Amino acid sequence: MERLKELYEYREMIIGLVKKDLRGRYKGSVLGFLWTFINPLMQLMVFTMVFSVILRSDIEKYYLFLFVALIPWNFFSGCLSGGARAVLNEQSLVTKIYFPREVLPVSYVTSGFINMLYCFIVVFIVVIFSGISIYPPALLCLVPVMIIEYFMALGVALFTSAVTVYLRDFEHIMGVVGMAWQYLTPVMYPTTWVPDRLMPVFNLNPMTHIITAYRDILYYGKVPNMSTLAVSALFAAVILLIGSAVFGRLKIRFAEEM
Amino acid sequence: MAAIKVENVQKSFRVFYDKGRSMKEVVLFRNRRRYENRSVLKDINFSVDKGEAIGIIGENGCGKSTLLKLMTRIIYPDKGRITIEGRVSSLIELGAGFHPDMSGRENIYTNAAIFGLGKKEIDSRLEGIIAFSELEEFIDNPIRTYSSGMYMRLAFSVAINVNADVLLIDEILSVGDANFQEKCHAKLDELKKRGVTIAIVSHDLGTIRNFCDKAIWINNGVVEKYGLPGTVIDQYLEFMSGKRRVQ
Repeated sequence: MERLKELYEYREMIIGLVKKDLRGRYKGSVLGFLWTFINPLMQLMVFTMVFSVILRSDIEKYYLFLFVALIPWNFFSGCLSGGARAVLNEQSLVTKIYFPREVLPVSYVTSGFINMLYCFIVVFIVVIFSGISIYPPALLCLVPVMIIEYFMALGVALFTSAVTVYLRDFEHIMGVVGMAWQYLTPVMYPTTWVPDRLMPVFNLNPMTHIITAYRDILYYGKVPNMSTLAVSALFAAVILLIGSAVFGRLKIRFAEEM
Repeated sequence: MAAIKVENVQKSFRVFYDKGRSMKEVVLFRNRRRYENRSVLKDINFSVDKGEAIGIIGENGCGKSTLLKLMTRIIYPDKGRITIEGRVSSLIELGAGFHPDMSGRENIYTNAAIFGLGKKEIDSRLEGIIAFSELEEFIDNPIRTYSSGMYMRLAFSVAINVNADVLLIDEILSVGDANFQEKCHAKLDELKKRGVTIAIVSHDLGTIRNFCDKAIWINNGVVEKYGLPGTVIDQYLEFMSGKRRVQ
């Protein structure tokens, strides 16, 4: 509780770091901020070409099927591998001055989250143009799903950013884990393709539920299962608790280990 | 009432001969990661009342700066406890988070935010900070165009104007020219009168003698002497000249 209160007192620092990151992301490039939208659009164009011409899929509007899952996935995997450097990158701050160290992963995840929200502008436009019928109450469910994913990603980033200070390889390990994790999550294929006997394993993967919820809302145009939401909220809570406990223990020696 | 309380604090550092942090090095070369435990602070106890100024002295490498770093919570003690009441501003490393491409004004916001100030609070202090730094003309220029003296003046002005209850200062009262130093001393006097608790680590014994209410001499990781600055400094000087004679 104390930690949360202190974090709130340092909100101006979090806001500052998030702004710096969002502005700095495409700094120096000609198109600048526009890249935030061009990136997902280009991705979508590639998918559309590949999956409607070469790798023709049985799934209707496969490009959309993939797109609505990939944008949230990219945010999560960014926090998993990129988040590993969240503390390490601010070495000069950590060794010089006191501030609640949680500020660093929190701002990293928040900036990734805001970036995802920008990408969702593109997602919405594409969904509307593709002629998928959107069910407005389902759209409302997007808010809790995003919040749940945010906290899940935060828990993961707290964990990876703290461990990486002590073991630098962890960042690269997380890169590999992220790739494997993507294939083990129904991002590129529907859950129905998963063999029945493997289903219990998939259900243990917290991201399965999140991605399913996104797809229900944006592709199938239906309200996600309440049980899906409940399970993913539970997972998020557990991951966040573990992440912040580990971070709380490891942060004590950050300045000495850097 | 004690504003700063240091109880039974111990701190040792692992001094690695050759520290590897990659997995290969951690797993394969365990022996190569040999280190020696260097005990810096063995058992430190003291407390500072609210509104008091304390000077910390001792020879090079005695652990003064380590103690100050422990007090700001950049590092943590192995054993013991340090409790500080209220907001702490540390003038240990000035200008944390300064970005060379941003203007002086923007950097004030970044830097003050790292001290835990909200936007409104910074807004209300901005004028005071700029006036204190005497950088009005240059405040909207990027700070990479600043001279090192201007840079330090800006950093010092932020750190001293964040409305801290406790100020921790490490050997940096030599910022700027004679006039600016004079101003800093006057500001510290004013803060002290207002009830700000101040801890200074310095080799400038004159400042400690004149400014501090108490002094503490650290030797071999313990508090060798605690008391009025005059008495403590005299004993310290005697000890140091004795050491010189032996050499």
